[in-house]
Amino acid sequence: MSAFPARNKAALAGFAQSPVQRHAPMTLGAITIATVREAVADAGLEVSEIDGLITTPLFPSLGSHAAEDGIALVTTNWLAQRMGIVPVYQENPQGQLPGAVAMAVNAIHAGAAKNVVVYRALHNPGGSYHQNDAPKASGRDQWVMPQGHHGPIAAIALAWNEYAQRYGAGEDALAPIAIEARKNGARLPWSYWKDKPLALEQYLAAPFINDPIRMFDCDIPVDGAAAFVITSAERARDMPHRPVYISAYSDILPRRFGLAHHWPYDEIMELGALGLERLCQRAEIRLSDIDHSQIYDGFSPLSLFWIELLGLAPRGEAHRFIAQGGIDSDSPDGKAVLASGGSLGNGRMHGTPQMIECYLQLARRAGERQRDVKLALACQGVPNMGGSVLYSADAY
Amino acid sequence: MSSTVQQRPLPVPDAQSAGYWNAASRHELALARCGQCHMFAHPPGAVCCACGSIEPAFEWMKLSGKGRIRSWSVVRQALLPGFADLVPYVTVDVELEEQPNLRIIGRLLDGIEAPLVPGAPVAVCFEDIAPDVAVPAFRLAAG
Ligand SMILES: [Zn+2]
Repeated sequence: MSAFPARNKAALAGFAQSPVQRHAPMTLGAITIATVREAVADAGLEVSEIDGLITTPLFPSLGSHAAEDGIALVTTNWLAQRMGIVPVYQENPQGQLPGAVAMAVNAIHAGAAKNVVVYRALHNPGGSYHQNDAPKASGRDQWVMPQGHHGPIAAIALAWNEYAQRYGAGEDALAPIAIEARKNGARLPWSYWKDKPLALEQYLAAPFINDPIRMFDCDIPVDGAAAFVITSAERARDMPHRPVYISAYSDILPRRFGLAHHWPYDEIMELGALGLERLCQRAEIRLSDIDHSQIYDGFSPLSLFWIELLGLAPRGEAHRFIAQGGIDSDSPDGKAVLASGGSLGNGRMHGTPQMIECYLQLARRAGERQRDVKLALACQGVPNMGGSVLYSADAY
Repeated sequence: MSSTVQQRPLPVPDAQSAGYWNAASRHELALARCGQCHMFAHPPGAVCCACGSIEPAFEWMKLSGKGRIRSWSVVRQALLPGFADLVPYVTVDVELEEQPNLRIIGRLLDGIEAPLVPGAPVAVCFEDIAPDVAVPAFRLAAG
């Protein structure tokens, strides 16, 4: 028996991605219903055949915005009621997309559900996404907010500058990440940045938000939803599309307790490496066996961290690797790790672009972008807080 | 004191933080130290993460306020009330000299043009933001 009994026992059978818009005319709930219906149809199923719903409902704003169900986020309870689904299994984990996929795999392998829809819906509330008008800082906030430190951009700026100073990465070191993500995102029909690649001059002309993080190092908040149908490997083989097997996952790791919005670089790398080690043990592969790794890029330094964790460049060298065209998807020698367009090239979709790219390639549905790949990895989030899922074209 | 400064988010001291804010109001940096293993914890949690004690009996110990810069950033957008007139300003991630990886984040009050390098020594200082409320910050220090 495999080290991981659920290996390749569940499979992706279909997907849908809504248009990614800055401010959609429909509510997020309505967008999600339309997207789930489309994903279910893509898998050749009826909505009545869906018996599991899982989402990570997180509305990741730290600002003074109401988190209303159906508007700013969409829980499974909200969705089930509006779609007339009575799920035998529903979960709303607090973590990121790999955790939701992991739950679907586990539920299917355990026989707790047959056909599970995993979805992610994200809302742009308008105004400043993270601006917080609270006159007081209590609980964990009191250790950083009165001091003037707040939000994820501030957190990544400190982590990135520690890397940049330690390894000699220059002020423009991140440009190839944003440019590559936007290049690939510009080719996707649903992307907010469709037909809008980013030129180096535009990247450099945009303001710093938190030095050394520039505006285009940060994904843009959007309205959008993506949905996936996950079912058993056996059932998937009778469905319209080629199954894409879920080989292993590494879900969220226990972070060290510390300050809010403090992502120490060394902890990111230490726990990120542990997550990938765990994934490889479950999948019984080496990182070098993966044909197509899709890295996360909600903030561009995260992509550099993932590149080094995946062993595509030595520790401290990823900034040189990308400067030399190392991730150019149009080069035969490039590692197309941002072929998904990521969050920088689609909009803030929290890991769904990477999952879609893995799915489309392995299901051989990627059209002009089709590559000859068999094992694909979707990486999500800050490496010590996100996770990763390995997909396979074969039920090895 | 300007009205803008008074609008900065004020800390709400609680059972786990009162010692920190009381010391800060006297312009002293005090952090919680586990009464069992004598390791500093910042912030102090419900238990000691160093030794696992569920009765850590944290004590508030005055620190030297000296440390070295691990990283820094220039904040250009005020996402918090009361900082609009202060941007752009520098925040520093400081490793305090009392314990490896004991980190604290605060403003560096030397301006955004101050030459910074990793490992640069800093010393704590305090910003008075309301009556009896002072917030730890840093200045570059000698050697
Ligand atoms: Zn202890």
